[in-house]
Amino acid sequence: MADTQRTVEAAKTRLDSISLPYGGWTAEARAAALARLQSQGLPGRRDEYWRYTRPDTLTAATAPIAVPEQHDEDGVFDHLDALKIVFVDGVFDPQASDDLSLEGITLERLAATAEFDIHWAKPIYGILEMAGQTPVARPLASFNTAQARDGVLIDVKSTPSRPVSVIYRHKDANSDVTLHHVVKVGEGATFELLESGAAAARFNHVLEVDIADRGQFHHVRAQGPDLGCRLVTHLFTRLGTESVFKSFTLGANGLLTRNECVIELTGDDAVAHVAGAAIGDGDFHHDDTVFITHDALRCESRQVFKKVLRNGAVGVFQGKILVKKDAQKTDGYQISQSLLLDGDSQFLAKPELEIYADDVVCSHGSTSGAIDEDALFYLRARGVPVDVATDLLTLAFLAEALHEIESDSLSSAVGERLEAWLAQRRS
Amino acid sequence: MLEIKDLKASLADEDKQILKGVNLTVEAGKVHAIMGPNGSGKSTLSYVLSGKDGYEVTGGSVALDGKDILEMEPEERAAEGLFLAFQYPIEIPGVGNMVFMRTAVNAQRKARGEDEMSATEFLKVVRARAKTLKIDADMLKRPVNVGFSGGEKKRNEILQMAMLEPKMCILDETDSGLDVDAMKLVAEGVNALRDEGRAFLVITHYQRLLDHIKPDLVHIMADGRIIKTGGPELALEVEQNGYADILAEVA
Amino acid sequence: MTALDEVIVKDGVDQETVDAVREVGGAYKYGWETEIEMEYAPKGLNEDIVRLISDKNEEPEWMTEWRLAAFARWKKLSEPKWAMVSYPEIDFQDQYYYARPKSMEQKPKSLDEVDPKLLETYAKLGIPLKEQMLLAGVEGAEAEAVGNRKVAVDAVFDSVSVGTTFQAELRKAGVIFCSMSEAIKEHPELVRKYLGTVVPVSDNYYATLNSAVFSDGSFVYIPPGVRCPMELSTYFRINAENTGQFERTLIIAAKGSYVSYLEGCTAPQRDVAQLHAAVVELIIEEDAEVKYSTVQNWYPGDENGKGGIYNFVTKRADCRGDRAKVMWTQVETGSAVTWKYPSCILRGNESQGEFYSIAIANNMQQADTGTKMVHLGKNTKSRIVSKGISAGKAQNTYRGLVSMHQKAKDSRNYTQCDSLLIGGNCGAHTVPYIEVKNNSSRVEHEATTSKVDDEQLFYCRQRGMDEEEAVALVVNGFCKDVLQALPMEFAMEAQQLVAISLEGSVG
Repeated sequence: MADTQRTVEAAKTRLDSISLPYGGWTAEARAAALARLQSQGLPGRRDEYWRYTRPDTLTAATAPIAVPEQHDEDGVFDHLDALKIVFVDGVFDPQASDDLSLEGITLERLAATAEFDIHWAKPIYGILEMAGQTPVARPLASFNTAQARDGVLIDVKSTPSRPVSVIYRHKDANSDVTLHHVVKVGEGATFELLESGAAAARFNHVLEVDIADRGQFHHVRAQGPDLGCRLVTHLFTRLGTESVFKSFTLGANGLLTRNECVIELTGDDAVAHVAGAAIGDGDFHHDDTVFITHDALRCESRQVFKKVLRNGAVGVFQGKILVKKDAQKTDGYQISQSLLLDGDSQFLAKPELEIYADDVVCSHGSTSGAIDEDALFYLRARGVPVDVATDLLTLAFLAEALHEIESDSLSSAVGERLEAWLAQRRS
Repeated sequence: MLEIKDLKASLADEDKQILKGVNLTVEAGKVHAIMGPNGSGKSTLSYVLSGKDGYEVTGGSVALDGKDILEMEPEERAAEGLFLAFQYPIEIPGVGNMVFMRTAVNAQRKARGEDEMSATEFLKVVRARAKTLKIDADMLKRPVNVGFSGGEKKRNEILQMAMLEPKMCILDETDSGLDVDAMKLVAEGVNALRDEGRAFLVITHYQRLLDHIKPDLVHIMADGRIIKTGGPELALEVEQNGYADILAEVA
Repeated sequence: MTALDEVIVKDGVDQETVDAVREVGGAYKYGWETEIEMEYAPKGLNEDIVRLISDKNEEPEWMTEWRLAAFARWKKLSEPKWAMVSYPEIDFQDQYYYARPKSMEQKPKSLDEVDPKLLETYAKLGIPLKEQMLLAGVEGAEAEAVGNRKVAVDAVFDSVSVGTTFQAELRKAGVIFCSMSEAIKEHPELVRKYLGTVVPVSDNYYATLNSAVFSDGSFVYIPPGVRCPMELSTYFRINAENTGQFERTLIIAAKGSYVSYLEGCTAPQRDVAQLHAAVVELIIEEDAEVKYSTVQNWYPGDENGKGGIYNFVTKRADCRGDRAKVMWTQVETGSAVTWKYPSCILRGNESQGEFYSIAIANNMQQADTGTKMVHLGKNTKSRIVSKGISAGKAQNTYRGLVSMHQKAKDSRNYTQCDSLLIGGNCGAHTVPYIEVKNNSSRVEHEATTSKVDDEQLFYCRQRGMDEEEAVALVVNGFCKDVLQALPMEFAMEAQQLVAISLEGSVG
């Protein structure tokens, strides 16, 4: 009890002493976010929303050390034709990055625009995040809005010729990074955003995406594979009429990952899909927390999350579909599944529906279990070694989530990487 | 029995007129067939007659035994003796077929101020009628239409018709999805119900059903109207030459 | 099982019951009040009241101490807020915690001595206590008394048990079936051994309150190897105003025994909400089986949300032995607020827990109900089938936990949780927690939310049913999996209740 008290007080002192990095156009949002954070307090173990994930290492004053790993592999999306923006431990790397210009879009860095008085991103920065704070508080997102020193601001006026690929690199064992990205997808435009790599020893990431009518946003990210990292991400999006949002996350190895996705369907006939595939081995805690609000007619939402866990890895899924009173003809679907490859791993899920409109079709399913022994035997009887067979079945299990990636080339890039990781573990 | 005058109807959601002035009179004891190409409005006619939501009557009248039925609720029309054999009978999970039929029979009896049928009496009647349609005890116990084959569903429709003893029976593409044997069985069921006091309106795509259920008159429907009426030979003509000739002739 | 099938099965035998049930019509049928002289403990809650209740029940010292300890703990607790229900703050000092008919001051030696007014009350509720025949010594009269099936009844009226039928016959089989107050006096060793071992005194706010102030309830002990010769049931009636009912039920099924237990409850129609906080504990030993069925039909309040029962109930079964089985079946149609999660602790290897639930919330009702399946033993199985129906302005929440502990190897859970919405002003919510900590167990959870299908309604109406009848039929179909799990008499009543509870929900 006394310990908790001390922790609370330490956190309070820390929150009270936070200073804001910039003046300029973000100042207002940052001040509001700080005030919000101070009234929310940092998440603690007793918070219902953190029932299955301990937030202490995410909220501690200093980031726990994470020694960067030597990888000889390239980034998942390195070979795709995309405009690359590289951050090394949260610091923009101009040499490794492409020129920040692409037809149809305006690309800027938060740090570079920080002291401007006016900016197009002002109605979005910290605003979608704030909207996503009710009914559930997300203090770590408030913290991000207040503290972020850099990030990418993308204004999509018309469909560009290629995707933008944000690449994170982790080199410093002590790095504690906060990045905040804003994407505005204009009417009728389509935009693809890729994110890949381990970013820092501890990484707090916010992405706000405002999608105008008939706009489309496709998002694919690959997190990892640095074993010692800790990561909390928040994706806030608001969808206009007939717009489309699709986000897929591949999660592999990291001590702690908490991916929150907060989607608000505000225009009629909008579509939002959010999916994830995670493979965890050993000291791995992976939490997908999704909150989808249907607030318009005939919208569709889909959540597809698959986790393969072994050697004591823990998978968490908290997904919620909230259908407001007038959001008639809502079609909401949610599936969360785990494949537990041994007796030590855990899957903890809370798939929720909260529905106030009557003319809806909503469903959710959740399963957890071991690998299908019959299928395994069948493969082995055909001469496939047991570990290869296990990987094959693992990939088959994850396929439904990968299928959510719109672009075939991206889907196969992710699939190949997944296969490589599994093969690597085998050898 | 059934008198349809200049019936016009459109979809309630969109401003699309489907029935553009249907005129049709079916006398008691008679069997009328309606044939027509896809999209001519045949099924819409059956839905508008039975009072399904989603259609707006924009003109004309429909009288059953002299009573205007267009203002009535679906169940009131049913109690007046109007029966629709659905093209796609609806599945109702968890509701036993017998319970469903007995509830319907007694609801209609109650609406007409008649005594309800006792469980034992109902059981006796339903078993006898089911037998002639080759509907076994199992089908009677299962939930309404759930897991029924296409043929079973259609036979179940005819069984309901036999139990409810309506005056005016509308059969909406009852032959669709049936093989020859199943169709014969259904047709026999219908023929067994033919009598002086009862009329039938058989909506079909193909002439073959009419080999088994002999119509007194055949109507050709196109673009929301009845464009030609004739004897059973009209159906044969359609079978051989298609609708093109008739459409051309009228146009 | 459908109504018609039952008629066929019973072939006329049960026709009277069928007709009686059919007549159940109109709004809340049990809203009348029995005028009877009552004796109350002073209003409010303090140690003296706790002692007074204990004293009224002539309890031994250990029981009084147990209550006082619970009360001391309760004072430190606060009301849980996590359920999706909202209601005005309850003033726990503005309640009576003990009310008994004056005529019960001297506990009647047999049902024959019971105040005729009370017997009449139960007869009117359809629960004949039939003492006359019993006393006449007519051989087999007991069996005939309640139709073709034997059901022993413990009748609880406000704070006290009025009487328990068939006690003698049950005793012959070694079964103890009596009121809780009687059990504390007559079988203290059993009560002391088991009370509070499934739902500990500290379990939750309402359970702790119940532990302090429970006044009566039912006690069942089925000895090893005995199959209880008849169904047992308790009928709870709240009659007094401003009075909370706190009953405690304890059922012990010893090794290899079996019992089916039914529970019914009603209350008068009143403008002021009333509190009901019960605790039910089931102890199930090796190879024993308990079926526990509830038709909860407390007064739900009026269509504006005035009055009704606040129903805060803790029910838990502990499958202590290997192959122990428990089945909870509940039909929740009453109460203004329902907060209830009948749970199963699957401790024994190969033990099984089942939970079948229909929860209907209409008008201003709020229901937050579900179950917990805690798998501790190997090869344990659980099954959850929940059907929630919301209409009017009601809020209906399924809340459940499935927990597979690490040692619960090769266990299974299947959960199906469906919600139906009728009308655009109600809410249907699903809050499941799934915690899997071993990989040899399989957990499957499915949930759907939809509205009553328009095509199905049109089909029914084309066949001549009016809209309300069509809705009742379709909803009964939706609930069928659960209705099937109920004992036959209850299934009939439940089917009718479904229709009645939804009255006024369409059109």
